[in-house]
Amino acid sequence: MYEIWLAMNILWEIALTVLPWLLALLVLLIAAWSAALVRGSAGWRAGLAGTVAIGVLAAAAVILTLPMWSRSSLGELAYWVDWANLLAIAAGAAGIAMAVAWPLLATWQGRRWRPGRA
Amino acid sequence: MRRQESKPVPGITPALGRRHVLGLAVAAPVAASALLAAPVAAARTRTQAHVVIAGSGLGGLAVAHRLQALLDGVRITIVDAKEEHNYQPGYTLVATGVWPVEKVRERNVALQPAGVEWVKEMVTGFEPEANTVVTASGRRIGYDFLVVATGVHLDYAQIEGMDVQAIGREGLASVYPGPQAATATWTAMQAFAEKGGEALMTLPATPLKCAGAPLKMTFMLRDRVAHAGTLGRSKLQFVSALGNVFGVPAVNDNVLARWNDLGIEVETTQKLSAIDIGRRRATFTSPEGEKSERPYDFIHVVPPMRAPDAVKASALAWQEGPFAAGGWLEVDKQTLQHRRFPNVFGIGDINGTPRGKTAATVKKSAPVVAGNLAAVIALQAPALQFDGYTSCPMITREGSAMLIEFDYEGRLVPSLPMIDPLQDSWFAWLMKYHMLKPAYMAVIKGRV
Repeated sequence: MYEIWLAMNILWEIALTVLPWLLALLVLLIAAWSAALVRGSAGWRAGLAGTVAIGVLAAAAVILTLPMWSRSSLGELAYWVDWANLLAIAAGAAGIAMAVAWPLLATWQGRRWRPGRA
Repeated sequence: MRRQESKPVPGITPALGRRHVLGLAVAAPVAASALLAAPVAAARTRTQAHVVIAGSGLGGLAVAHRLQALLDGVRITIVDAKEEHNYQPGYTLVATGVWPVEKVRERNVALQPAGVEWVKEMVTGFEPEANTVVTASGRRIGYDFLVVATGVHLDYAQIEGMDVQAIGREGLASVYPGPQAATATWTAMQAFAEKGGEALMTLPATPLKCAGAPLKMTFMLRDRVAHAGTLGRSKLQFVSALGNVFGVPAVNDNVLARWNDLGIEVETTQKLSAIDIGRRRATFTSPEGEKSERPYDFIHVVPPMRAPDAVKASALAWQEGPFAAGGWLEVDKQTLQHRRFPNVFGIGDINGTPRGKTAATVKKSAPVVAGNLAAVIALQAPALQFDGYTSCPMITREGSAMLIEFDYEGRLVPSLPMIDPLQDSWFAWLMKYHMLKPAYMAVIKGRV
């Protein structure tokens, strides 16, 4: 339990150091979801495949770059704990990327296949 | 001491209706922010006590934040001249070229809890019989309760010829004095790595803050030399004044085995007693008093450490036993309450306790000190006990580390039992590189 509390606090303190970026992300998320939901013509199902692809790309990018970004390398990941944590971080990044991408792609798909358009 | 009143424990929370649940759903993010933004306030003890905290390092500030959360009406005075707060666990990263120096520099005033009085002077004397501390200007400050958080004194004066101002020049390195010394140490390390040569890494026989730092510096020097391509014409030697290189046997054996594989030589029971900086020669003394002079191209000097004079010369210091020579604070190792002055507590490096002079020690002992002090203020016995927990992210090279955690008895006590503390790990490195400073900031704020 203490470790969970500690992890939450670490994330909070990291968040404080990148607050402007987090706020920008939040604005982007709200705008994207609002636009998609308010218009009501979003192609959610059609946008899903692209969303998953973007999530996979984001996860792959994190896996390939995070060790280097932390002044290490993929070659240093010789312990299962390293891979478990890297995959968890990558999954988190994928989740964020998909949360942004899905409403955008859904809106785009909705416009593309709207009746009366070629 | 003034008489204190205890506030009644808050009542039972009523059952939640649907509207409450909906309200909670809306308020949850705000509540979570508030929860993280301030220490959790349980039933607070009402008091008019005056608590003086000598020192505003991690320990002093963490206890100050926690006391404010635990005590309603407490008056807290922090006595420390330092305007800059340094994240000392980052010194080894600065000194090995991993971090820029800015990452270890913070403004002290920004880290102090609101409402405390800050006396910007050093404490130069403790008079516990009179419940008074004396500052550098001669000002006398009375207290009801005292928290000693002064940290250690780096006793470079024990090394004849040593000049802290010369760190960074003539192959002289030492990571301990501060950010400037850490930066200068990196300059010296780079110069050595480019050319190679003979390196001496020293270790004194006294208790040390961050006892892993000399080992990390050795691992990283070897890594830098290897990357510079000068390993073939370099000789790295670790010279310890003790019979080992680390106080925890399992870690000691593991590090020695690694160094054997890396070609780092180890010599024990040789104390650095003198240095000729201009000639690049170090003199070591054996327990029998035999002196030997050795040339070097690079030397990492780890100073002997002891309590600051103000503590050492006071009645607060151990009067006998293994901690008396260093003048360390005489506290009970479990409650961290002074053994002879019950209104005095100790936190951090100053404590005369076995092992544990790290930020991780403060992380686990600050709740004990604050909780026990609050109990004493409420006329109760101190019930919380500290087990001596400490940890050391032992960097083994750039990009990899071991996350070692141990207690007073030297037992390895990993927080997550499935993780092997002696296993090289990128995740342990990531923690050292990116997560431990955020954890440190949470400790300062009294949250973890």
